[in-house]
Amino acid sequence: MTRADLDIPPRPLAQRLGAILWPSFFAAGVATMAFFAIVDPLMLRDMTFPELELSRMAGYTIGFFLFWAATAASSLFTWLLLRPASRFNRRMQ
Amino acid sequence: MSNGVSTESIPLYVKQPKVYPREVKGRFARLRVIAAWTLLGLYYVLPWISINGQQIVLFDLVNRQFHILGITLWPQDLIILSLLLAMAALTLFFFTALAGRLWCGYACPQTVWTEVFLWMERVTEGRRNKRMKLDQGPWNKEKIARKSAKQFLWITFALWTGFTFVGFFVPIRDLGLRLVEFNLGGWETFWLFFYAFATYGNAGYLREQVCKYMCPYARFQSAMFDDDSLVISYDVNRGEPRGPRKKTADRAELGLGDCIDCLGCVQVCPTGIDIRDGLQIECIACAACIDVCDDVMDRMGYPRGLIRYTTENAMAGKPTRILRPRIFIYLAALLALATLVGLVLTGRDPLLVDVLRDRTALHRVTEQTLENPYTLKLSNRTDRDLSVSIGVDSNALSGLRIIEPTEAVIIAPSEVANQPLTIGMPLDQARVGMHEITITATDAAGNVLNETETRFFIPARALE
Repeated sequence: MTRADLDIPPRPLAQRLGAILWPSFFAAGVATMAFFAIVDPLMLRDMTFPELELSRMAGYTIGFFLFWAATAASSLFTWLLLRPASRFNRRMQ
Repeated sequence: MSNGVSTESIPLYVKQPKVYPREVKGRFARLRVIAAWTLLGLYYVLPWISINGQQIVLFDLVNRQFHILGITLWPQDLIILSLLLAMAALTLFFFTALAGRLWCGYACPQTVWTEVFLWMERVTEGRRNKRMKLDQGPWNKEKIARKSAKQFLWITFALWTGFTFVGFFVPIRDLGLRLVEFNLGGWETFWLFFYAFATYGNAGYLREQVCKYMCPYARFQSAMFDDDSLVISYDVNRGEPRGPRKKTADRAELGLGDCIDCLGCVQVCPTGIDIRDGLQIECIACAACIDVCDDVMDRMGYPRGLIRYTTENAMAGKPTRILRPRIFIYLAALLALATLVGLVLTGRDPLLVDVLRDRTALHRVTEQTLENPYTLKLSNRTDRDLSVSIGVDSNALSGLRIIEPTEAVIIAPSEVANQPLTIGMPLDQARVGMHEITITATDAAGNVLNETETRFFIPARALE
């Protein structure tokens, strides 16, 4: 077997989930901190959805999960791009 | 599968045999216990400590203030927080270069909480052999009882951990009271369970897999390592060839090294590796193998240290240098950052002054005086009461004076006071226009705390 067609066996789900969710969690945490240090969630609410009853805590939480969704999507994308072709190439029935 | 492609199902966890770390006693085990008590003690106790009614560590998100040991940080102090984080990272680098993965073995929350969960597992399910037998055995009464007892301890402890976590962000005494009344807010409840679940999953089930698959530090620590960093290593020259023997046997005669191949080091390893295979990325340097091997060496009457803290250089028979350039570079960077934090902290204004013009009435005229109303936002950023007197000055106008407040404003520590401010001047000295004025805040001793600029408005019709 040459280096080129060396096929890495699929990694366990825990490792895949970990490699996608954890770094993105970390990045989202940092982004949330930096973002809300400058932006007050109440001000943001007044600028966007003033009719909603959102507390600061709710603002932080929603902000964090939005960041996490974005960073996790990026991690997921990276993982997809790094998958070897053999995972996509399935013989026809 | 009929298409000929093997799609083996992949289990959630790597079912390379579940690691059942054996309990271990010894010098380093004691150190780990001390570290765990200290760190967990800090975590669970700190939020309960208040000085002058102020929780000493409180990241008060709702009021956008961080209280850390008597220092109050505001959103505009983000730079200090960033510097502190950078210092924490550099400290980690420094200790890694000096002493290897001290962090992993003794201080990482993953390690510490896993130890506690393992301890609870030991209390309920017994020692290593018993745990293995229990897992293989049928679900009888004893298994159900022991497993439920473990789950009860785990879940209770995880929930308490989650509660404490929220207590770092919301005043914990109040939180505790409301918890007893089942009156927690939605977000508080959410984060309590979120953190409890993370603790339960990470320390109860994922354990060493977090270190092996999820930890970035394990991957980049090699950048800080060199041949002079402390590592835990098996002395191959001394140990090999390994093999069992009687205590009375002469190992030279048998042609054996010091390793009796008892597998003690493998059984105690929380990440399930064999340290005798050499330095591995999975090793979290907890030194459990050192303890267990030293014990065996003692019993065999061999010198300790077949597995020991050492350096690559020492193993190769070369001298180990502790003071080397990278140590000094990390140290210098740390000192520079610490100085910077000190400078920024001491250079902070004790009082923030914001002036907002009153939008409803820009000016009013009373008898011989023209007045402009404002609202002052005074933020006391110290940890003591401030008595603030307000003054006004202008290059463009003369005769300005403060009409309200007439007395000094007292502001409690970390409080923001909304103080109505009225500035007036004699009508006969007024000139039409928007004039720059300076508001000055002084303390009781007459020291200027801060000043800010705003405008004084004199419309033409006011002078008619």
